[in-house]
Amino acid sequence: MKQVKTTNFGDRFFSFFTFCAAMVVLVSLAGIFISLIFESWESLSRFGFFNFIFTDDWNPVKEVFGAAIPLVGTFITTILALLIAIPISLGIAVFITEICPSKLKAPLSIAIELLAAIPSIIYGMWGLFTFAPIMSEYIEPGLQFVFGDIPFIGPIFQGTPLGIDVLTASIVLSIMIIPFISSIARDTILLTPQVLKESAYSIGTTEWEVIKDVILPYSKFGIYGGIIIALGRALGETMAVAFVLGNRHAFPTSFFDATSTITVTLANEFTEADSNLYMSSLYLLSLLLFVISFIVLSFAKFIVHKGSKKWNG
Amino acid sequence: MPGNKNIKLYSKNLSFFYGNNQAVFDVSIEIPQHSIVAMIGPSGCGKTTFLRCFNRMHDLYPGNRYQGEIFFDNQNILSKNIDVTLLRSKIGMVFQKPTPFPMSISDNISYGLKLNGIKNKTEIKDRVESALRSSALWKEVKDRLKLPATGLSGGQQQRLVIARALAVEPQVMLFDEPTSALDPISTSKIEELAAELKKKVTIIIVTHNMQQAARISDYTAFMYMGKLIEYDETNVMFTNPQEKLSEDYITGRFG
Repeated sequence: MKQVKTTNFGDRFFSFFTFCAAMVVLVSLAGIFISLIFESWESLSRFGFFNFIFTDDWNPVKEVFGAAIPLVGTFITTILALLIAIPISLGIAVFITEICPSKLKAPLSIAIELLAAIPSIIYGMWGLFTFAPIMSEYIEPGLQFVFGDIPFIGPIFQGTPLGIDVLTASIVLSIMIIPFISSIARDTILLTPQVLKESAYSIGTTEWEVIKDVILPYSKFGIYGGIIIALGRALGETMAVAFVLGNRHAFPTSFFDATSTITVTLANEFTEADSNLYMSSLYLLSLLLFVISFIVLSFAKFIVHKGSKKWNG
Repeated sequence: MPGNKNIKLYSKNLSFFYGNNQAVFDVSIEIPQHSIVAMIGPSGCGKTTFLRCFNRMHDLYPGNRYQGEIFFDNQNILSKNIDVTLLRSKIGMVFQKPTPFPMSISDNISYGLKLNGIKNKTEIKDRVESALRSSALWKEVKDRLKLPATGLSGGQQQRLVIARALAVEPQVMLFDEPTSALDPISTSKIEELAAELKKKVTIIIVTHNMQQAARISDYTAFMYMGKLIEYDETNVMFTNPQEKLSEDYITGRFG
């Protein structure tokens, strides 16, 4: 069959315009990737990709650069933030959709969305000036007192609780990603068909059992989607973490150690990079983050897609 | 009305309100044990609302209010100190659209069993099988019990939902237009099933399909604008209705 082509100028212009708009995405993605490779080339050829990843030294004076510490820092803070944020977000979403009185629903939802609208620099400042002192004075000594002497987990509560550390950064990060997970979880929970809930109630389930066994499984792929978005956000978050993580180039051995992440290193050191190799290594760090985010997000999307296809037909 | 039969369930002057809107007016009806009672009437006549009073489904939404009494084994189930969860495991319900849970076929059924505290794996397995057999689904699904229930056809899903309700051994089953989303073959399978189930449970079925009511029910109740107009044995109802309204509805003059 011959494709019907419109000759109307307005139509053709409009489709061309939408095509261009869509292309902007692809072109900028490719452009960023290419320029990152180009700029990081010097460092890449000097250290080699794997050597760069596994070197735990970051020494501008000796011009030795390795990404191991910021990589580990990025993963630890991201995972901790997700561990804190996921249960709280699910609690928020379930409360809003199933439990809270209808008068409270709208104000609560708006408050959570406002939380997402706060610029990250404000989280950073709040973290540094308000939250970190509270952590170092009350919460961290308390945690140390309770958990510090328990075998195996004791060591991760050692050290001087200064408040500028892995735990504080992860908590601030988790507060930032809670709105993403909870609002997406709320939306998908609302999609659970009423009749499905009713049929669960009709075989004699309690409210909690309906939530746990019907609503959450039904909406799990949407919730995973929300977690993925939060994951991407947490991997790349810079300003909030930069204020409260300390930018120390050493592996953290305890919750109360300062360390660094890829983004924190970048934010702190771009202005100081005085040699080409230094600058190029920073670019290589960004390339690494770009690749990691890309891989993690596509993998997670793949899982969600596959899973939802299997269970939701 | 229905002679001196054993009455399983009856309502006495039952009215129901959605907020300020009254949907059911002063309905008194007796449901004999091991019988199928069909509720018929035009759309919006309150038959589904009435049906949902029997397992207190209306409790899930704020602002709903019952007035009057429903007695189930001589206990008023509308009273405040009734354990609604327990009540619902004794009075099962099947809805218009099939509602398999997002789990495997066998989990859909074992779920209710586990809720009722059955932990023994062989017992669960046996009861899953017997529930599937009694809903005439066993032969079709025995080789794919672990697959998602959403992969079944609409008719199979509806029979799975019936099996799920049966597994917790209810005494009464409420059917809310269970075949309205199904093709004729699946419909006749469900109808055969209902006739079979009547040996074990008491059934109230809401239906839009008058032939269906005539085919499967022992008694038929005709509702109109929230009121119970006439209630009689099905063959009397369809051959010799006493009320002008029921006659008009049954003969298709309105509805």
